[in-house]
Amino acid sequence: MLWDATLETLFMVSSATVLATIIGLPLGILLATTEENHILEQIVLNKALGAIVNLGRSVPFIILMVAIIPFTRKIVGTSIGTTAAIVPLTVAAIPFVARLVEGALKEVDPGVIEAAESMGASPPEIIYKVLIPEALPALVLAVTLTAVNLIGYSAMAGAIGGGGLGDLAIRFGYQRFRGDVMIQTVVILIILVQGIQMVGDKIAHKLYHKN
Amino acid sequence: MIIFKNVDRTFAGKDTVHALKNINLNIPEGKIFGIIGQSGAGKSTLVRCINMLEKPDRGDIIVDGVLMNNLDAKELRIERKKIGMIFQHFNLLNSRTVFGNIAFPLELAGASKDEIKEKVQNLVSLVGLTDKLNAYPEQLSGGQKQRVGIARALATEPKLLLCDEATSALDPETTTSVLKLLQEINEKLQLTIVIITHEMSVIQEICDKVAVLENGFLQEVGPVIDVFTNPQSVATQRMLQGFLATNYKAQPSEISNTLLRLTFVDKKTHDPIISQMVRAYELDVNILFGRVDQMKETPFGMLLIELSGNHEKKENAITYLRNNGVKVEVLN
Ligand SMILES: Nc1ncnc2c1ncn2[C@@H]1O[C@H](COP(=O)(O)OP(=O)(O)OP(=O)(O)O)[C@@H](O)[C@H]1O
Ligand SMILES: [Mg+2]
Repeated sequence: MLWDATLETLFMVSSATVLATIIGLPLGILLATTEENHILEQIVLNKALGAIVNLGRSVPFIILMVAIIPFTRKIVGTSIGTTAAIVPLTVAAIPFVARLVEGALKEVDPGVIEAAESMGASPPEIIYKVLIPEALPALVLAVTLTAVNLIGYSAMAGAIGGGGLGDLAIRFGYQRFRGDVMIQTVVILIILVQGIQMVGDKIAHKLYHKN
Repeated sequence: MIIFKNVDRTFAGKDTVHALKNINLNIPEGKIFGIIGQSGAGKSTLVRCINMLEKPDRGDIIVDGVLMNNLDAKELRIERKKIGMIFQHFNLLNSRTVFGNIAFPLELAGASKDEIKEKVQNLVSLVGLTDKLNAYPEQLSGGQKQRVGIARALATEPKLLLCDEATSALDPETTTSVLKLLQEINEKLQLTIVIITHEMSVIQEICDKVAVLENGFLQEVGPVIDVFTNPQSVATQRMLQGFLATNYKAQPSEISNTLLRLTFVDKKTHDPIISQMVRAYELDVNILFGRVDQMKETPFGMLLIELSGNHEKKENAITYLRNNGVKVEVLN
């Protein structure tokens, strides 16, 4: 029971992290590079994207989950269960990833970007050969932070029928007064968070070549 | 090689800064050309206009026959690949090794893996970093980083190298070694080099010609030896005062004595002109101050002397010195 719930949580979190990264990364790149004086300066687009991302981030997860039920149903065919929970988790994480990516890319030394420009690099070349490699440690930490946050969100999703550890804790631990199950789920959640953070830190550290 | 025609550049903002004011400049091919000026004079803006990192508001910039300011983005990228640039803070990619950094412009140029390997090998040996090929920038000293910067700038075999304060972050000894490397490259590869600096000594050590910039105005342009020994503009004179100690204040020991500042250039520094003069005109000479120096390869000397003796003999002595190609200024 506990094992199944853990697997469900891992499935939800990893799927949502991967999907949110796939969509959030390009969005973050756009946010960073369309800024004033950056390589793809597009101020109107930048402001519009920023507004949408802020809107996404300001909706509480519980409300977002309920609000997009029709959308979830359209994609997954149902709004209940572990797979269905991936949709709101992903949608909630996209703006979060986008902002973190934007922040990471803005930390890249403008001098290095300028050096690449002086060598005749095109904007896509600057993105793939300069911005992403230079920001890679920060990007890994951004994905790590996203995964950790999603563990928390997934427990919430579980509470309304999404499966996973949150679901288990509510149904057994809380509604059936099984204190032991409650404690076990919390311990597993802590281990998951610690584990993900540790792996993320390790990878980022390995990639870090800046003094 | 590079022509500036009526170039203006202003930065709009709370206080509009007119960084370049009607610049007309011709930078010859194959030489080391220095641009000197105080902080905020517009030097960086000027050099960044050459590869359009900064676009002029008005005027034309022509590099090797190509009008730079009218190129579209794609054409500009092609031209930029023919111009190398090095920076005060090196601007290396921290995520790449020395090899990777030097390979970067070659990747952009679409070189094959083998080609990149061979070229990088040649370049690291040119800049003397063969043993650091796999080091990351964080593991290098400032001087070594700038050598990587130079190798990277030379990778695509540009005809022009732009250096914006390339030695300003380095200690004097490292500065000398980097300047020597630049001079070697200039001679070996027949490469035109433009050097921006606020240090007179950089101009003195390796430049052939120099332009003086102040407040966005080009003050004067000429061979280094001419500008240093015979500065025309007030700005240049002021900059040189401290450097050549031309403002050295001396008083003649007797009021009747004549105080002279003599400037010798090139061969003249080898000739025993003073002792010949003393013998020929039976004068007494007292040396108050002197220095002998070098402008790139040209020796250069300055003496502050006082002459005592009869008036006519002194006049004749001064004429003698002038006829021998010594610049003479009578200071009292
Ligand atoms: N991007 C910019 N925006 C606004 N003002 C600028 C900008 N770049 C340069 N300036 C201004 O233009 C003037 C010339 O700057 P520039 O960087 O060319 O000087 P510099 O001679 O290179 O000085 P330094 O020796 O300090 O590098 C300065 O007054 C500077 O404040
Ligand atoms: Mg500058």
